[in-house]
Amino acid sequence: MRKRSGVLLGLLVALVLLAATAQAATHRAAVTNVTLAGWSSGPDEDALLNQVIAKFNATHKTIHAEFSVINGDYGTAMTARFAAHNPPDVFYVDSSVVGAWERQGVLQPLNSYVKTSKYDTSAFFPSLLGAFMSGKTIYGFPKDWSPLAMEVNKGMLGQAGGKAPTTWAQLQSVAQQMANKNVVPGGKPICLAADWARMLAFIYQGGGSLTNLTSPAVANAVSFYVGLISKGLAVTPDKLGAGWCGEALGKQKAAIIFEGNWLLPYMKSTYPNVQYGVFPMIKGKTGGNLAFTVSYSMAKDAQNKQAAWTLLSWLTSKQGQTIWMSKGLALPSRKDVKAIGGRQAFLSAAPFAHGWGFGNPNFATAYTVMNNDLAAVISGSKSVQSMLSDAAAALKG
Amino acid sequence: MATVSDAAPPPRSSMLGVRLREAGWGYAFVAVPIAVFGLFFIYPFGYAVYISFFHWGILGKQAGGSGTFNYSKVLHDPIFHTALKNVAEYTLGVVPLTMALGLSLALVINQKIRGRNFFRSAFYFPSIASSVAITTIALYIFNSDGLFNRIIGSQTPWFTTASKVTWAIVGLNTWTTSGTVMLYYLAGLQAISNDVYEAAALDNTSAWRTFWKITFPLLRPVHFFVLVVFGVGALKVFDQQFIVSGGAGGPNYSTYTPVLYIYRAAFSSFDFGLAAAAGVVYFVIIFAVTLVQNLTVGRREA
Amino acid sequence: MLQTSVATSAEPYIPGRARSEVIRKALAYAVVILVALIFFVPFVWTLITSFKTIPDSVNVSLIPHPWTTSAWRTIWTDYDFKRYIENSLFLAVVIVGCNLVLAGLGGYAFARLKFPGRELLFLLVLGTLMVPDQLRLIPVFVMLTNWHLIGNFSGYIFINLVTATNLFLMRQYFLTIPKDFEEAAKLDGAGYFKTFWRIMLPLALPAISTLVILQFQGTWNDFFWPLILFGQGSPSHYTVQLGLAELRFTYSTLWPQICAGSLIAILPVLAIFLAFQRYFVGGVVSAGVKG
Repeated sequence: MRKRSGVLLGLLVALVLLAATAQAATHRAAVTNVTLAGWSSGPDEDALLNQVIAKFNATHKTIHAEFSVINGDYGTAMTARFAAHNPPDVFYVDSSVVGAWERQGVLQPLNSYVKTSKYDTSAFFPSLLGAFMSGKTIYGFPKDWSPLAMEVNKGMLGQAGGKAPTTWAQLQSVAQQMANKNVVPGGKPICLAADWARMLAFIYQGGGSLTNLTSPAVANAVSFYVGLISKGLAVTPDKLGAGWCGEALGKQKAAIIFEGNWLLPYMKSTYPNVQYGVFPMIKGKTGGNLAFTVSYSMAKDAQNKQAAWTLLSWLTSKQGQTIWMSKGLALPSRKDVKAIGGRQAFLSAAPFAHGWGFGNPNFATAYTVMNNDLAAVISGSKSVQSMLSDAAAALKG
Repeated sequence: MATVSDAAPPPRSSMLGVRLREAGWGYAFVAVPIAVFGLFFIYPFGYAVYISFFHWGILGKQAGGSGTFNYSKVLHDPIFHTALKNVAEYTLGVVPLTMALGLSLALVINQKIRGRNFFRSAFYFPSIASSVAITTIALYIFNSDGLFNRIIGSQTPWFTTASKVTWAIVGLNTWTTSGTVMLYYLAGLQAISNDVYEAAALDNTSAWRTFWKITFPLLRPVHFFVLVVFGVGALKVFDQQFIVSGGAGGPNYSTYTPVLYIYRAAFSSFDFGLAAAAGVVYFVIIFAVTLVQNLTVGRREA
Repeated sequence: MLQTSVATSAEPYIPGRARSEVIRKALAYAVVILVALIFFVPFVWTLITSFKTIPDSVNVSLIPHPWTTSAWRTIWTDYDFKRYIENSLFLAVVIVGCNLVLAGLGGYAFARLKFPGRELLFLLVLGTLMVPDQLRLIPVFVMLTNWHLIGNFSGYIFINLVTATNLFLMRQYFLTIPKDFEEAAKLDGAGYFKTFWRIMLPLALPAISTLVILQFQGTWNDFFWPLILFGQGSPSHYTVQLGLAELRFTYSTLWPQICAGSLIAILPVLAIFLAFQRYFVGGVVSAGVKG
């Protein structure tokens, strides 16, 4: 008698458990999990992004977005996950690698989702959105962008008695005045990075472009850039004991540098006492600047593509991007979102900005060749022409 | 004391049994390690050999057929040659220096000096910090206006000058690795029984002779170990060059190493086939070097 | 001449050498102190910087100006370093334990047991040292993903059960131990495992200490594999190194916090070192053979 009631009890328990798990399962199934991955450029950024995600989760009851920061080699970690067919659903893609990732087939084309959800793509600046398109196929939406500007130490500029330069000629003369009056003791008037990620802006200013590297306009611009160094008016940051030009400005070893938005929070937290002004990037024959931009993209192997699209489109929507822009960490990629105040010098670069590494699938590899050669050119062991032909060959792949 | 050889030799059948038993236990003891190595080293290497004959991307085989094109690309690449030259220069600098310094520190610590525990910790200290931490600190100290330059009165940015950076990294890694080598030599020194030193003392041998003729040769298994492990480690160097050059291998390819070449081929160009071919080629080179070491220094004691 | 005391130094006292001994000792002290100073520099700088404010941390000054403990407080409260330390400790203990047993057994077998193909297998073991991590990353990662061993510690532990370096180390050390011990054990009728466990392993104390110290440190300082295998999810799985990486950003580095975090990270490794280093001392071998 006891045995049978024991069995009945067991069955009852099992039934209850089954019902409970079924309930839980259906309840769980109602909430789709979407993973978002990216890197972090600063503690401010972390906090802000978590704020954005929290807002999304609060307004979308059926989707739960989870953001995880990859605190190391982002590219390598993502490559491994792509290879294992286990990537995050939505993730950052830098414009310099989007061409290569797209060619490897790991990014999900978004056109069908755009169509069915009637997403307004015209709200984005065409040159920025174009960075993440191949032909007519969209592979990601830009989340923000940053151009370069010119930052000048106010005290040193005043001592040299000049106004902030706006052209190549003025840059050289102001720097010359600074050198003559020894306004930057222990340093040099200009800090220039031995990096195509800065020199390319000057190439565009000279009327050149990446597609025709062996043209005289390009050679001219490179010679101007490197010439500033050989004339003693400029120097690379490592010679000033700095890791990058921003640090040189902070250490007051340079008066004029060319850096982007990211300089502002850095100076505020690390060198709060240095007085500097942000001016628009100078012009050569024409205006020229670089647009550093990152997209939110979806993985081809994403688990829940519809939910991932909801997250992606919300993050880059007017609502999502407005929250993201509230700290002024970068400029908005949408025409209908306002940047916070004080960013005029950066915004004025918009008409002249060219995408960094746009679309070229060989860009990451070519970039290494380009920079190694540039270091050789600056130290005098390589000719400008030789570097340009190496670069052109590397870009072609 | 009776030894085994004094007894009468056992019958042949049981000798075979003994040998079988010994072999069985031998295999049993090495089974798990061999399995782990097989899964996580041998198989991936075999996989690399396989894909080295194809065009291989992140998601697998790509069009273009099979052949030795990856190998010819690697072997003819001037950047790969530069990488080999760089790593050879680095290894030939760092290995002898680290061994010499490590052995010297071990000998010093082995003396009965006061505070030897403290000194042992002091020498080992740079080895404790992680690669990234120590390199970041070194970048700071070896800045063009950093601590080191202020002391020796120089302006050279050590880690960004093409002609100096390899030796700067040799210095850095010798400093961080000699503590570890010291530990290995200390362990080895403990294995040398005191009788040996007493016999030498009886013969009135000088300390220097005792070291060269007795201690040094008796440390041969440690020499071999250190030479192989740290030699191969030097040939595989990656972290410092990567951090110092931001992954670009510059300035002007001076910090490009073969492992960086493999890394860039795989994670920058997404050309897994090329990376695999470079990996196989480099493996053969390292293997040859180690084989030479095995045949010269690694001979078993009779 | 029987040696009954356990010697603590490799250099026996030799009468009549008093003066050269003193000079030698003085020289040794001088060199040792100088070298120790050089080797301690990073520790001193790290300690000092951890008490600075961020703007002050870029100066090469020896005294923080102003003096603050905010970096230490941030580390403990804003970043979950207590949890990170627990995780690192767990991994280090497990992996050191496994390595001790497996490398010990394997090393002994390669050194003393005869079995066909032994030298070839050993060459294979050495061969694994020559495969760079970067080359085997993708196949290993794909394998572990397919077996669902990523995102938690199991995959990481699995690939680190035993390393070629440790096996090699134990083998080399066992080679230096005189055969008399095993022959004595064989006479006493001990089996292979018993010989290993009761006699050879205790004799290998210096090598074991080395293994413990170095493997603990290796696991503790490992950044690359933890990042790839379980460092992309929630920070509850982070190790100390992954935690430190949270403090490094592209265009700004929270130097004081990193220094504070690094010091917290170094302490356990230092503790293990101090605990095990005393086992280097001891002429255990010489004491065991006689009598």
